Amino acid sequence: MNALRSEIRKLTSTKLTWWLALASFAFTALNVVLLVYLVPTNAQIRDNTVLLELPDYVTSIVAACGSASVFILLIGVLGLTGEYRHMTITATFLASPRRWPVLLSKAAVFGVLGALLGIVNFAVSYALARLTLAGKVHAPIDTSLAGKILLGVMLGFAIYAILGMAVGALLRNQIAAVIIALVWVLLVQPLLGVFFSWAPKWLPGGALDSILHQSYQGGRTTADLLPAWGGALVLIGYAVVLGAIAAGTTLRRDVT
Amino acid sequence: MSSHVAIEVRGLNKTFGSRKPVRAVRDLSFSVAPGKVTGFLGPNGSGKTTTLRTVLGLVRPTSGDALIQGQHYSQLAHPQRVVGAALEASGVHPGRTAQAHLQVLCAAGGIPYDRVPAVLEEVGLTEAASRKVGGFSLGMRQRLALAGALLGDPAILVLDEPANGLDPEGIAWLRHTLRNLAAEGKAVLISSHVLSEVQLTVDDVVIISKGALVTQCPLAELSAGPRQVLVRSADDPSLARAINEESGNAASPAPGGGLLVTGADSAAIGRIALTRQIPLIELREHSADLESVFLELTHAEVSA
Ligand SMILES: Nc1ncnc2c1ncn2[C@@H]1O[C@H](COP(=O)(O)OP(=O)(O)O)[C@@H](O)[C@H]1O
Ligand SMILES: [Mg+2]
Repeated sequence: MNALRSEIRKLTSTKLTWWLALASFAFTALNVVLLVYLVPTNAQIRDNTVLLELPDYVTSIVAACGSASVFILLIGVLGLTGEYRHMTITATFLASPRRWPVLLSKAAVFGVLGALLGIVNFAVSYALARLTLAGKVHAPIDTSLAGKILLGVMLGFAIYAILGMAVGALLRNQIAAVIIALVWVLLVQPLLGVFFSWAPKWLPGGALDSILHQSYQGGRTTADLLPAWGGALVLIGYAVVLGAIAAGTTLRRDVT
Repeated sequence: MSSHVAIEVRGLNKTFGSRKPVRAVRDLSFSVAPGKVTGFLGPNGSGKTTTLRTVLGLVRPTSGDALIQGQHYSQLAHPQRVVGAALEASGVHPGRTAQAHLQVLCAAGGIPYDRVPAVLEEVGLTEAASRKVGGFSLGMRQRLALAGALLGDPAILVLDEPANGLDPEGIAWLRHTLRNLAAEGKAVLISSHVLSEVQLTVDDVVIISKGALVTQCPLAELSAGPRQVLVRSADDPSLARAINEESGNAASPAPGGGLLVTGADSAAIGRIALTRQIPLIELREHSADLESVFLELTHAEVSA
């Protein structure tokens, strides 16, 4: 399919996406290192628990790949708003005047990219967890749970990339879209969690945590979250709703 | 395949916005024929880009129609092979090389990648093929945009202000290229806000002002005002009287000196000067200045 090939060529001919991908790997690695070396040291002093001996805590180290989600969101935002910023959207819709195949192709390409980056980020956190935990006293790494985390991060990152695209398509202005995405992830979403204990499970961040079996994010326990399948449904719901609004707007809007 | 009319715009209206509506195009109708270069002319903000974008399916008309070989742009199975377009506000990602940019367009239209070196050659950008577009001059960008339009070897070309940013050499190159394309039988529609820029390139003109049609005609008809002769002599006042007595034509002082005679030919005036024995200094046919005709036409008040 032509629109799909064109989207892939776009992705392979610019660098920004790949720098963000590299940044996501580095961020995952950083989080694993913090969870293995830094957090337990402080925690032991505070309440005398040996965190590394808790199975949930070890799981959260493997699931640290999820922390890179913000980079995946940005890849989606920048991938779409770049078309408006550089006004390549005109050429895109001239070549494919029926717009919905273009939007579907973009969603497919970014969804697959997100899933692939999910695999690599998982590989980083899993390998680094094994490496850094070796020689320490720690709860065993649950490999069947690790498999579920891999599936979770693939689905989660595919959806984050698509959510980023949808936000980008609605706002079009690149700087505004990046700022809004970051403010949401770093400020609004965590604050909502602080003020309303029922909120996280219904928000994208909490839904992502639940499909990653991530129990130690921001001091929250899994009890606050939906089961993994519920989290998956919430994420898919966000993607469908935001995606449909973004697509509906983009299909109708004048390109000037 | 080449139907009689390449592009037909019929009763086109476009109003942007609803709270503070801007009527960008008003009841506009014109057509573009194959084998010719048609100039789409009007001052800045007169609705040229909006009209072209409507023709290309990027802007939805408020009412009216814009058809390409009788079809809407969005109905074309292989749009790039029918219409090649280079629009004013159409960009290129600065991080992409010229080649990669054209490959993206090829992929979208199912056009083989080997068209890329061919069109780069055609616009003289072969050397710059693997350079990033971010470092291109305005003139190089215009050439790249034209290369993109030529990728599908289309029968129709739509170019929005293609001469903008070109130096005189570039404009000459553009003229040569577009004349050749028209000679191949293609329909070429180019917009401009300065007639003189495209005066030597176009066969026909479509002139708009404030979104409405002023005139559509061959360029030659635009310049064919009443026939005038410019004459300078040793004694202009006597010659003016003589011309008036002998031929009945009016002779009025010309702005730069001499007389402008309307309705007579230069041979007749030469004979009159000879019989009255007034020495002539200069005698030539006076052609109306196209640019001032254009300005006059586009500044005339258009009734809504
Ligand atoms: N997207 C838009 N929203 C609102 N007004 C617009 C838009 N695009 C163009 N216009 C207005 O429509 C008019 C015609 O613009 P345009 O077609 O760009 O003229 P030209 O190409 O002849 O310079 C101008 O008044 C311009 O401000
Ligand atoms: Mg314009």
